[in-house]
Amino acid sequence: MKKKNNLRKPFFEELQQGNVEGEIILFQPLWVRIFHWGFALSLTGILLSGLELHKPAKFFAVSYGDMFKIHVISSWFALGFVALRCADAILRRDQSLIPKLRDLKLFPKLLAYYLFLRTAPPPNRKYNGGQSLVYSSWLLLFLIASLLGLSSYWQGEHLIWVWRLVGGFQRLRWIKFMITIYFLATIPLHIYLSMTENLSHLQAMVSGYERKPPPKKS
Amino acid sequence: MIETGTCTGDSISFDNIWTPTFSDILSNILDWRYDWSMNQAQGSAAYQVLLDTYSKLPNEYILIVQGSMIHSDSGHYDHVAYEQGKLITGIDLVRRIGLKAKYVVAIGSCAAFGGPVAGYPNPTRSTGVQDVLPERRVINVSGCPAHPDWIMGTLLHLALYGEPELEKYGRPKMFYGETIHNRCPRRYYYDQGIFATDIGQKECLYRVGCKGPVTYADCPIRRWNDRLNWPIGCNTPCIGCTEPGYPDLMSPFTVHSPDIPLPGGTKIATDSVALGVLGFTSAAIIGHAAASLYKGRIQRNLLKSTVRGKHRFSLTKVKTFHTYRVKKNAKKE
Ligand code: SF4
Ligand code: SF4
Repeated sequence: MKKKNNLRKPFFEELQQGNVEGEIILFQPLWVRIFHWGFALSLTGILLSGLELHKPAKFFAVSYGDMFKIHVISSWFALGFVALRCADAILRRDQSLIPKLRDLKLFPKLLAYYLFLRTAPPPNRKYNGGQSLVYSSWLLLFLIASLLGLSSYWQGEHLIWVWRLVGGFQRLRWIKFMITIYFLATIPLHIYLSMTENLSHLQAMVSGYERKPPPKKS
Repeated sequence: MIETGTCTGDSISFDNIWTPTFSDILSNILDWRYDWSMNQAQGSAAYQVLLDTYSKLPNEYILIVQGSMIHSDSGHYDHVAYEQGKLITGIDLVRRIGLKAKYVVAIGSCAAFGGPVAGYPNPTRSTGVQDVLPERRVINVSGCPAHPDWIMGTLLHLALYGEPELEKYGRPKMFYGETIHNRCPRRYYYDQGIFATDIGQKECLYRVGCKGPVTYADCPIRRWNDRLNWPIGCNTPCIGCTEPGYPDLMSPFTVHSPDIPLPGGTKIATDSVALGVLGFTSAAIIGHAAASLYKGRIQRNLLKSTVRGKHRFSLTKVKTFHTYRVKKNAKKE
């Protein structure tokens, strides 16, 4: 006998029955949530193993072969999650990650808000100007780092043009290190802002749903 | 052989070949025509040998170039000959002789990629030979200096079998096909994560700047000075002398990321840049959090973004196989 999970339906019915102010909307679809947490996990694996490969910690005698495997496997997973997110964005025609001119125009106002020169952030799309800039830069840099990583993984067997383009293995290593530093500098910022700006967005990354506040009565 | 912007180190390295001996090569193996370090004649008599080879044996001779191509002042930082009352620059002579050669071989890292001569800030605007001969393939035998076997091996391959299989930077695969790291006898230390903390120790030298993982050459199996030893064998890291970008991209030799040149001639270590960026971000986040708490922004945002329902749900477990249902008589608040 098939047992249906009876929790969700009445729960949402209850929610919709005016128990909260405003409307409950789907803010983060399932594939976005899968991508977010999957990518977060695999990127953490890449960054930590990459740092260990870059500068082995004195207190941590670990098999380098294993560390390299963790690095490569995490990278393949992360690439897979990115592919998933891109496919999802194409299917849903979701442009929320692509920065728009309007985002750039509003960026100074957003900065003014973060610097306490304004009391409220400017109106934004799903993501604000800062978020869309950082998220799209992550995507771009992740893809660049993956390309560099793959070309060093294949040792010039494939993607030789990448080696030639950047001017050698050492420079390739250096660019990847700098990209790592960019990630390490911006990820804490992302975590900090997501925990202090709007907790409801953060929970939507788990539940998917979020309360949309009622339109302001004027 | 034409010598341009060079220290002649590759000639000295080549003299140390064993076996065949250098005298063997000159007298029995190759028809060695023109070489500043080895010529018996001098001046125009010696130079005439080069010009004769050029005009009488087109597409039959091999041009060997040692040293970087110096471009500053249209090449006039580097004069290599005196012909009909005119000083001839290195780039002009290499181009002229190179275009009619059967093969062009650049020996040493300077001729292959610019090498130390092209090091920052490169006042002579030096490059490798390939840059002045874009229309034809230059075979690079890099190294600072190039190993005598790499030079002789390439020349013999050209003489006996034609062009060897080349890798991504135009170097013969038979010598530059594998990284130092892949053949290093200390690789098991690396794989186990056991690293030397100082130069002179017997473990893997990765942490003290070994460039073996990014350097393509067969030093671990060929070794130097009549196969006696090689850098890692005497406990100093590989400095990556065969790679493009050497020495700038490989220095400092004791750390593995290159320093970043700043305008004004100073350099800053990559790791310091990284620590600076991370320190700045951490300080900014902590400062922002403190200011937000002080101004009450965090408190306001948390209150705004969390909402309390008009009444609370209470859930009851209705079946043992984990099915939940909202209680019919949920208490109104
Ligand atoms: S000493 Fe250098 S080349 Fe040898 S295993 Fe260590 S890092 Fe690799
Ligand atoms: S061990 Fe490294 S630095 Fe030494 S000659 Fe070989 S490639 Fe050059």
